Amino acid sequence: MGLLSKKDQKLIFDPLADDNPITIQVLGICSALAITAQLKASIVMAISVLFVLGIGNVVISLMRNIIPSKIRIIVQLVVVATLVIIVDQVLKAYAYTLSKELSVFVGLIITNCIIMGRFEAFALGNGPWRSFLDGIGNALGYGVILIIVGFFRELLGSGTLLGFKVLGDPIEKTGLYSIGYENNGFMLLSPMALIVVGLIIWVQRSRNKALIEEN
Amino acid sequence: MLEHVELFFKSIFIDNMVFATFLGMCSYLAVSKKVSTAVGLGAAVIFVLAVTVPLNWYLDQYILRDGALGTWLGPEYADYDLSFLSFILFIATIATMVQLVEIVVEKFSPSLYNSLGIFLPLIAVNCAILGGSLFMQSRDIQSAGLALNYGISSGIGWFLAILAIAAIREKIRYSNVPAPLRGLGITFIITGLMAIGFMSFGGMLTGGDEEEETTPVSEVTPIEEITKEASEELVLTTNEKE
Amino acid sequence: MAKTDGNIYTLIFATVMVIVVGGILAGLAQGLKPAIKENERYEKQQNILYAMGVHENGDDTGSVNFIPTERVEGEYKKYIKQSYILQNGKLTESEEAFTVDMKKQSKLPKSERKMPLFVGEREGKKFYVIPMYGKGLWDAIWGYIALDQELVVQGAYFDHKGETPGLGANIKERYFMDDFIGEYVMEAGKYEGITVAKGNNDPVNNTKDDNEVDALAGATITGDGVSAMIKSTLKSYIPHIQNLK
Repeated sequence: MGLLSKKDQKLIFDPLADDNPITIQVLGICSALAITAQLKASIVMAISVLFVLGIGNVVISLMRNIIPSKIRIIVQLVVVATLVIIVDQVLKAYAYTLSKELSVFVGLIITNCIIMGRFEAFALGNGPWRSFLDGIGNALGYGVILIIVGFFRELLGSGTLLGFKVLGDPIEKTGLYSIGYENNGFMLLSPMALIVVGLIIWVQRSRNKALIEEN
Repeated sequence: MLEHVELFFKSIFIDNMVFATFLGMCSYLAVSKKVSTAVGLGAAVIFVLAVTVPLNWYLDQYILRDGALGTWLGPEYADYDLSFLSFILFIATIATMVQLVEIVVEKFSPSLYNSLGIFLPLIAVNCAILGGSLFMQSRDIQSAGLALNYGISSGIGWFLAILAIAAIREKIRYSNVPAPLRGLGITFIITGLMAIGFMSFGGMLTGGDEEEETTPVSEVTPIEEITKEASEELVLTTNEKE
Repeated sequence: MAKTDGNIYTLIFATVMVIVVGGILAGLAQGLKPAIKENERYEKQQNILYAMGVHENGDDTGSVNFIPTERVEGEYKKYIKQSYILQNGKLTESEEAFTVDMKKQSKLPKSERKMPLFVGEREGKKFYVIPMYGKGLWDAIWGYIALDQELVVQGAYFDHKGETPGLGANIKERYFMDDFIGEYVMEAGKYEGITVAKGNNDPVNNTKDDNEVDALAGATITGDGVSAMIKSTLKSYIPHIQNLK
């Protein structure tokens, strides 16, 4: 990895585990809960956030010396919202089918506090290249959790993965269903996302004792 | 009056910001370690929602909505649909209001500022606030009064949620939670359980929600009769065409 | 950083930002408007045709395949024979039916509402395609439902603005929409509509005359929204369809 110095690598790889935006920094929870009933939606959301956070971090970082500190929050929100709306409008004009798939996520991305959080915590104080890496790293860390939660919720809730019936057909009673297995419809409801994230935190902190909180 | 009461309870319990729509989760999880801070943040959220939702209602009604400009600028502006600007304008209102409130409170009541002040910047990024305005828009709240009601009651819902979780977290300190789950992990799981509990309020919703012009079954005109009436009308219209 | 803290600087910055952002967005919206409008028209034609069974769905896969955009204009002309507007209990033939904006109409009082009806013909059979508009959990839902002369559903298409992906958003999945085919909207001579029902002991939807289709797991409110939308919309059309035979 000649391209990235050790410090830069840290920017990308830390958020994947030890400094994960969802399980450690507590950012971007709302969307993580709302859309993880399906693996596909989780992946789409993860990729969208990757784009917005990567580009947004660079933009904010470039503007960091001219943004008045009093209104920096407005400026940040306006930058995200503008970026997202531009992408949305362009897609609507030139890739309509894709835009239909993504339209639901537009609002979720703008209100996603992971984006604001990284702007505030990193991009305002660092150069564009490092901010870009930080954006990518955090978006990946966010995406990993989203995909894990989406995987379990779709598998246990509907018995499918990306829409494929991996456990057999619940109506025809084939595969696992032939021996009396039933889908747990509860997994599809949003509260279960909270509990799954809680369990992920449990696993993560049992493996890395340094992350355990005092009380 | 009845619709106010209905909206009030619906926003607090059935459509609770935290437990039903999972908005404002980040600050809910991060600032709920102690009851006193939770109360401060909750109060600030109620206040900001109460101010921004009606403000954004006016914005939506007179600027953003399709054809809204035409109602007061003259019919030549009726074709403009500015709804693609709603995100930006709503956010701008919220951030401006929050900063304004911060300045005013600091000036006139330093003691209140000391207890509330630190939470105010946090609120601008709380997605519950923007969510409140967006829901107001998408649910077609009918009047400014109802919008105010909606802002206050969804704020109260959020307040209740953070108060409850903060109280639980204070108590749970004395329990023997597995070490890796302590703190954030157990908070997630408790919130999940509370949300499941709140789902039972959803049962109160059945029926009365949609405005159904209920005609008792006996009064429904049998289809043949409707057909007869309609066919007479229809003959007329088709004849006219020919 | 000190120079960026002054009030005047802040004010100038905010003004410039508003102008720049507003300019970019307004220019973009204006410039892309024709392309977006065209896409929306194609989509509407695709949806209407889809509801009356003109689509490219394979028999086995579960995906929704419309007539491709390049051909949809021609196909639409081929299949849709007439369009009507139903207003205040009166049905009049009108070319404007296609351009009626359901969202705007839904805000008008009932007596002023323009309700379009598209009459299509395929293989000698007539289809009455009815557009619908209603509310789901988060935001608007809408769709098209095609009835034949016997008031049996021949096809349905649903779409939504912002239902939860994986839950309410599944109303636009084929397995949900296909369930409606063959359902009868009348019950013992009376108008009944179609209800999206939970636990109706008929998950495969074998019984077609129960006025019920199986609900989506975890999407109660969206499902109720669909039921309400169908119920309230079709009601006004039923007598007219029986008449148009």
